[in-house]
Amino acid sequence: MDRPDALEVSGLTVQLAGQAVLEDFSLSLEAGRKALLTGPSGCGKSTVLRCLLGFVVPQAGAVHIAGQTLTADTVWRLRRHIAYVAQEPDLGAGIVRDILERPFHYHANTALRGNLARAPELFDAFALARSLLDKEIGDLSGGEKQRVALVSALLLDRDIFLLDEVTSALDPASKRKVIDHLRSRTEATMLFVAHDAESFPFADSVIEMQGGTT
Amino acid sequence: MNQVVEIGAGHLAAAYLLLIFPLAIMLWYRIPMIGETVVSVVRMTLQLIFVGLYLQVVFRLNNLWLNAAWLLVMVTVADVSIVRSCSLKLRRIALPLSGALLAGTAVPLMLFVGLILQRDNLLDAQYAIPIGGMILGNCLRADIVGVRTFYESIRTGEKAFLQSLAQGALLHEATRPYAQKACRAALAPTVASMTTIGLVSLPGMMTGVILGGASPAIAIKYQIAIMISIFSGTAITLALGLWLTSKTSFTPYGPLDRSIFRTA
Repeated sequence: MDRPDALEVSGLTVQLAGQAVLEDFSLSLEAGRKALLTGPSGCGKSTVLRCLLGFVVPQAGAVHIAGQTLTADTVWRLRRHIAYVAQEPDLGAGIVRDILERPFHYHANTALRGNLARAPELFDAFALARSLLDKEIGDLSGGEKQRVALVSALLLDRDIFLLDEVTSALDPASKRKVIDHLRSRTEATMLFVAHDAESFPFADSVIEMQGGTT
Repeated sequence: MNQVVEIGAGHLAAAYLLLIFPLAIMLWYRIPMIGETVVSVVRMTLQLIFVGLYLQVVFRLNNLWLNAAWLLVMVTVADVSIVRSCSLKLRRIALPLSGALLAGTAVPLMLFVGLILQRDNLLDAQYAIPIGGMILGNCLRADIVGVRTFYESIRTGEKAFLQSLAQGALLHEATRPYAQKACRAALAPTVASMTTIGLVSLPGMMTGVILGGASPAIAIKYQIAIMISIFSGTAITLALGLWLTSKTSFTPYGPLDRSIFRTA
């Protein structure tokens, strides 16, 4: 039997505040594949990710995650397949260590609590000083917050990653480290959103969006 | 103890003379609140005259159904006032919130009248109406602070809230930090007033009982019971209010439904 696509959206149409953001947008991504969603600002790239998470409900079309249709009933279970990092991540207030620990208090993640031990190792991989673990998240720079958000996403051991401009605030050296690490995750399905195609050179495919369509 | 001293209409007019001080201060500092203040004083006077006349009838009849209806009217007025103060839409929030207000008022009131005062008639006008009013008034204040803090902090911190959902949180898990913040903000004034009660001010219930001719020893027992009832009522109404209004305030997928707000 064929393995279902990790991600599949078909005929998505989204209107927000009376404006068409997506029109008949479709995309499919096999498990383990990496795709880059690119295009000008406001073309609907982030809206695609928000549809995949159920944060935006399309007027038409369907979203499938790991072969199952995303509905109000299934969304809570299907989000457990996904790790999402927003363009300007907001992980809430508090000490970085506590912020990384917070998702493991959720019923969906309690069994993964042991993954927290990998946090220092991931900090090293992303050129983040381990001392940041004991700092207030509000005291971190934009680039440091982006990498902490990535660490938090990776600790959850999801099989699908939705990454929205995750290297936009990074210097070239940090960016290279992040890209190298993401490239090494060969099993994971990744959908990147970025303005330019060079951001993720290892992507298997590039989807160019223009005015809400491909 | 002496019976309460009757205040004649002429003597009551003397109380209005005290308004000279705030009005003079407003004039001196040119605070544009004089019109608003005069309207408030007139409204207060008319409302209290009306309520006084109505309550005289309610107390004389002391009819169970009439007393219950009066408490329901108070709950409804409080309900509308909370929803308006929180800039939320009446048709979305008023019904679930009314359930929370009713429970937050009725549970401590019934325990106060039935268990503490040992009255057979739980809705005896002499006790149910003033005690119910005190509990409800505090529930109203707590709900205004709590409900507003809850929804406003989710609205302003929406990115962090959505991040929690994306990390696999169920709705009650994602809203917990905001509910904690709301409860802290709403319950803190009651906790603080319990800490300083009697030292900073003589509380209303105690004052009323003493003015009614009872000894301070009786008055403090009433005051202790009412403080605990108020605290219990505010906690019940707040927890139920957040829980019941949550049912109609989030989309089935988890994000906050912004159409609950009166303003964008």
